[in-house]
Amino acid sequence: MVRYLLSRCGQSLVLLFLVSLIGFMVLNLAPGGPLSQFALTPGMTKEALDRIAEQMGLNRPLPIQYLDWLWHLIRGDWGVSYRDGRPVLEVIGSHLFATLLLMGTATFFAVLIGASVGIKGALAQGSAFDTTTTVAAMIALSIPTFWFGLVAIYVFSLWLGWLPAGNMYTVGDGSVGDYARHLILPSMVLALVEVAVWSRYMRAATLEVISQDFVRTAKAKGLPPRRVVMKHIVGNALVPMITLAGLQLPTLLGGALVTETVFTWPGMGRLFLDSLGYNDYPVVMGLLMFSAILVLIGNLAADLLAASIDPRIRLD
Amino acid sequence: MIAADVTEPRSAPTRWWRSRSLRRFLRNRLALVGVAMIVTLTLACVLGPYLLPFDELYIDLRARFAPPGTGAHIFGTDPLGRDIAARLFQAGQISLLVGFSAMLMSTVFGTLVGVVAGYLGGRIGAALMRVVDAFLSFPSVFLLLSLAAFVSPSPLMITLIIAVTSWMEVARIVEANVRSLRERDFVLAAQMVGLTKRQIMFWELLPNVVGPITVAATLTVARAILLEAYISFLGYGIQPPLPSWGNMLNGAQQYLAQAPWLAIVPGVAIAMAVAGINFIGDGLRDALDARSDQR
Amino acid sequence: MTKQSFHPTRRQTLLLMGAAGLTTLAPSLTPLGAAQAQEAPSGQLVIGFSQEPTVFNPHMPHIEVDEGVHYAVFDPLFDVDQDGNFFPLLAAEVPTVENGGISADGLTWRVKLRDGVTWHDGTPFTAEDVKFTIELLVNPEFKSWRSTGHDQVRNLTVVSPTEITWTMEKPFAPYLSLLAGTFIVPKHAFEGQDPNTAPFNNTPIGTGAYKWKNRVAGDHIELEANTNYFGDGPYLERLVIKYIPDLTVLYTQFKTGDIDLVGLQWITPDHYEEAKGLSDRVVEVVGTATFESLSFNMQRPQFQDLAVRQALYHAIDKQAIIDALYYGVPSPTETFMPRESFYYNDALPAHEYSPDKARALLDEAGWVPGDDGIRVKDGVRLAFTNSTTAGNHLREQVQQFLQQSFQDIGVEMTISNLPPAVMWGDYWMLSQFDSVVVGLNVLTGADPDASTFFLSSASPAKGGAGQNTWVYENPEVDALLTQGAETVVPEERREAYLKIQEILRADLPFLPIYQYAVIHGRKAGVEGFAGNVNNRIDTWNVRSWRWN
Repeated sequence: MVRYLLSRCGQSLVLLFLVSLIGFMVLNLAPGGPLSQFALTPGMTKEALDRIAEQMGLNRPLPIQYLDWLWHLIRGDWGVSYRDGRPVLEVIGSHLFATLLLMGTATFFAVLIGASVGIKGALAQGSAFDTTTTVAAMIALSIPTFWFGLVAIYVFSLWLGWLPAGNMYTVGDGSVGDYARHLILPSMVLALVEVAVWSRYMRAATLEVISQDFVRTAKAKGLPPRRVVMKHIVGNALVPMITLAGLQLPTLLGGALVTETVFTWPGMGRLFLDSLGYNDYPVVMGLLMFSAILVLIGNLAADLLAASIDPRIRLD
Repeated sequence: MIAADVTEPRSAPTRWWRSRSLRRFLRNRLALVGVAMIVTLTLACVLGPYLLPFDELYIDLRARFAPPGTGAHIFGTDPLGRDIAARLFQAGQISLLVGFSAMLMSTVFGTLVGVVAGYLGGRIGAALMRVVDAFLSFPSVFLLLSLAAFVSPSPLMITLIIAVTSWMEVARIVEANVRSLRERDFVLAAQMVGLTKRQIMFWELLPNVVGPITVAATLTVARAILLEAYISFLGYGIQPPLPSWGNMLNGAQQYLAQAPWLAIVPGVAIAMAVAGINFIGDGLRDALDARSDQR
Repeated sequence: MTKQSFHPTRRQTLLLMGAAGLTTLAPSLTPLGAAQAQEAPSGQLVIGFSQEPTVFNPHMPHIEVDEGVHYAVFDPLFDVDQDGNFFPLLAAEVPTVENGGISADGLTWRVKLRDGVTWHDGTPFTAEDVKFTIELLVNPEFKSWRSTGHDQVRNLTVVSPTEITWTMEKPFAPYLSLLAGTFIVPKHAFEGQDPNTAPFNNTPIGTGAYKWKNRVAGDHIELEANTNYFGDGPYLERLVIKYIPDLTVLYTQFKTGDIDLVGLQWITPDHYEEAKGLSDRVVEVVGTATFESLSFNMQRPQFQDLAVRQALYHAIDKQAIIDALYYGVPSPTETFMPRESFYYNDALPAHEYSPDKARALLDEAGWVPGDDGIRVKDGVRLAFTNSTTAGNHLREQVQQFLQQSFQDIGVEMTISNLPPAVMWGDYWMLSQFDSVVVGLNVLTGADPDASTFFLSSASPAKGGAGQNTWVYENPEVDALLTQGAETVVPEERREAYLKIQEILRADLPFLPIYQYAVIHGRKAGVEGFAGNVNNRIDTWNVRSWRWN
């Protein structure tokens, strides 16, 4: 076990290195650069842009820039944002809460509703409930998020006037109730798609388990159906769900991107899009590393959990 | 059953129209609805352009924002006065093609990686899965935007970009399933009988993970079509004047109040296509799963 | 010379170095004297911007939206109002030849400063701060946004805490306008600091009507009233600058009342009709100094033929583009100069939409249709790509409309749009494009000088330092631009700029389509707002905004 963990950590470091190298190359080799946003500023000249590039060290050879960045990173210095000059970790940190709040709420409801619907549908395969939820899930999956978000704003904010059209809180208020009111629309829009995903996977996994021998054995042994469902079916169907949960962790970053834009939610997804749009390399690189670390943690946790639940899975 | 699975050599394949899977599929009403939806959409997209009296590229500013049903414009016109029906069908050809091709590419590749990694395990498996991890750790938006800056946005390139960003989940799911299957009796039996690794992977293991693959693949088509819409929304996708469902939908959000049909028509087309595919996928899953009759 | 004779039409900017002075004291803006009785600031106003302000040191590289904050927190020595009149802020009066602020040869400047002004932290404002600011702008260690003009300042001397003098290396007419956009920053905030990383850069201290309160990154910035402000205002207790990244959402939140005023990137033309009908909202169209054009890369063989450029211009149905696609909001133009300007040439030949003339011009010039219907001459196909920022859907509509119009006269235009960072990087700067649709402001602040864009020597593609990305070369224009920048009498300058516009209209390195007009929206109770073609951002006079 310890050896396994050590080897995974070793692999992780290699992976992080690869991610940083690839990310850096892709960013820097793409045409354009962090200064192109200033090009259309009245009075801006090529001369000024060249001077600023020089001061920012952007005209050094790429390998030097990369090693410089890596060396600072190893010493715990993630660099500063090109846009506002704040340390990268501080920039990321200041957007983390908003995303955690939104994604946490949405995922909580999505898993709760999705898993129940999926299991119930699978147990009553072909029933009216199953058909209805299947159709509903598929339709939910087919609706582009930004479109749905806009419709939700039109209906609930403009038409009915029940809920705010966006933002995380009202400036000057910021009470819990205020946050909650702002949270409803975006988290429901986000949860809609997530519910569909979770219920589809949960249904498939449950069906997979139901048809297996040990379930038939359990039934044959005369165990009460309720126990069969809870212990044997749900327990086993949860294994692939854990893998899925691990996979969902990195979507923290990109998953809420569209929703965050439509609802002007100041989270990581929008930070990422903005930073990419302005070629704020230090922040983009920071977010890439952050996301990679999330993936690693998510996968490791998923594997460990799966192994502890399903004895047939061996860690090696 | 397990023994039969392994020892009985694959007999001459039964004629496909008599297979049990097909019969099961045909019994699934939802799946048939799905097939009907996809066939209708595909036919409309292929034949539609010939039946309509409009060219999908012809701009007529006097006719802009005509609501559905104005004259021969069954779905109305767009902000440049082009016939939406004509554009919708033309766009459908592109969007469906992009969606299916991207799904095929990513599913085949993802499955291959997943089966190999899951069965072989060890160093090769770990190495493969770390590559999967590496790709997964790039948010798809990053890859989409960065790659779009490099390539000229032809439909083929868009398909490739989408495939590159979608194969990992299939690989991950297949790997997890195969890993949990490889210690099962039938695999051990197959090894004892002396089947090669390749045979075990693709003849014994693969059929057993078709269910999850199909579910994942159908979700991937949905994803691919929506991703195309998203890339086009950001403007890096299919370039105007060539229509795609994505770029039709995306200009439309500005006109949601003024001309809602701009958003509704392509939105419904996308929803129909994706839902249809999902229905089929669901039917396939039940039909292909040899065990679903045994319940 | 009196103000009246000098400035009969109340047109913009005329810088008065040699001739005379007009120093209007815009009445509502600047009663002199520090503390006078005025109502206590009250209420809160939320401004929505579609980009996020992130640069708060006004002298570091920034974009337009950042100035939305700068105008609230800082003051320049003087500024330019919507009629082109200079009015003093930190200066006691706008320097002119008449009042002795500028010597007759335009070389020696003497600026008297307002007394009794304090920084937000209570430190008194003095001439040392002005000196520090100008020196900071040319400090080679500092990531200065722009040093144009300031690099010609010599012998910067603090005469007294309220007086500063300097000499210019050569007469440079645009400098007064440049100073009007130069916010004064406090020397003491940088003492012992690297100016690039000073804490000041994220918690700015100014003299302006509003004080920095806090910033929630990615969401909003909160400013509060500076009750010790030397001038008129502020009238609002709190000013919130909210970042709303999507224009449709920006408009929606204006409609729902979440934001009180729509700023930068404004209401899109397709929402104009609806916005006008909103109750309790004021929506108005305001001209800006930016013009939209189809710009050519003059290095491309197909564009070297004047007949081609003329033909393409004739093929454009400008009126249809403006009326239909832009809902009649902007106005057609023939030049880069805004019509509000004193230097605007209103005698330029009017554009005529005529595909027949276009075809005739091309036929005459020897461009004959090939097998595919696209014209060819000497082996050059009349085909080119057109690029702009990806995702600008109105421009994409214009592109497609142009594409069809050009197809009609046998010209093939392919659309190839790029992400902004790619588009405006080397692709634009080094003229790697065939043609672009672009909105440009080529002036120097409120000054008509456009040297960085039109001088032959200003093409980065040819090693130049400016932004002449057309690679346009015309010795006559070069001479006129140089003459214009060195001439100090506005009437004399005017001749040069009228002539430049005439030549550009004849040469057509770009096909002017329209002068930008933006749609401002605010709640009916907001007072004091005024559009200003001479300033880049809505908040230029935020000090006088108030709730009714």
